[in-house]
Amino acid sequence: MSEESRYSRQILLPQIGEQGQKRLAESTAAVIGCGGLGAPVLTSLALAGVGKLRLIDHDRIGLSNLNRQFLYEESELDKEKCERAADFLRRRNSGIVLETVCERLTEENAGRLLSGVDVIVDCVDRVETRRHAGRAARRLSVPLVEGGVHGFYGFVLSVLPGKSACLECVTAQEAEERGPVPAVGAVAGVIGSLQAVECMKILLGLPHVLYGRMLQYDGLYGEFTEVPVHVRPDCICQS
Amino acid sequence: MIEVRLFATFREGRDKIVYLEPEQASCPADVLDHLKIPHEEVAICLINGFHSKLSDPVKDQDVLALFPPVGGG
Repeated sequence: MSEESRYSRQILLPQIGEQGQKRLAESTAAVIGCGGLGAPVLTSLALAGVGKLRLIDHDRIGLSNLNRQFLYEESELDKEKCERAADFLRRRNSGIVLETVCERLTEENAGRLLSGVDVIVDCVDRVETRRHAGRAARRLSVPLVEGGVHGFYGFVLSVLPGKSACLECVTAQEAEERGPVPAVGAVAGVIGSLQAVECMKILLGLPHVLYGRMLQYDGLYGEFTEVPVHVRPDCICQS
Repeated sequence: MIEVRLFATFREGRDKIVYLEPEQASCPADVLDHLKIPHEEVAICLINGFHSKLSDPVKDQDVLALFPPVGGG
């Protein structure tokens, strides 16, 4: 199979070209969470030819996942998400390397699970896991792309560790969702796709990454709003 | 005027942007009381893009942005 023809439509872009495609092929992205956001992120990055993807998810496939998590089929209920996700991706691009880590990311293992990557994509639904991912990104000096959804709403924020605001810079410590978060598949698709675009910009070295700019999406209003966010000097990311 | 920008579920049953006179609110907690938003539901409170406590002062021309928890994946 000709890899050149596979990527020919994106190589046409001056922002990518042959050099950019080579850069993508030599890159590694870690995606934490293979759920509603992880599905569009992983699929977009795999199809774009990001050379190595590390899939991190401890969870198994549940019926309530299937309204949005298009990596999985009804016949795969209760199977490990990251293994099934890797299978889905492998069948769509056999030319990339897929690493699976069927573990929950914790404070203790975050440094190990996220080492050696060029970008980290946070697609999780727990504030605590986001915190561990953010702090590990800071320690490893790896750019991080945050995303979250709640029903018809969502946000994306990219973080250049130590340089631009992280989620902890702007979030109250006690803030946590209560109970299952409402989720619309199409909105997760919007936000996950935006996270994938941010990843590609970071990997390609393109300007205008959403550093210090939280992009809010409101599907009910049909509106994007950019909210500037600044580093908090006493945030742990500044230590 | 203080410009209050509401996001996500805070918009439900309210306008997405609310303007208050400085006399109506001296801190974000006053704004939340005015809008009948429980304080514990606020995950992100920004004054002019900077993280703020609910007791921090707000003044004329400030832009206050309020968000519920960041959501799931």
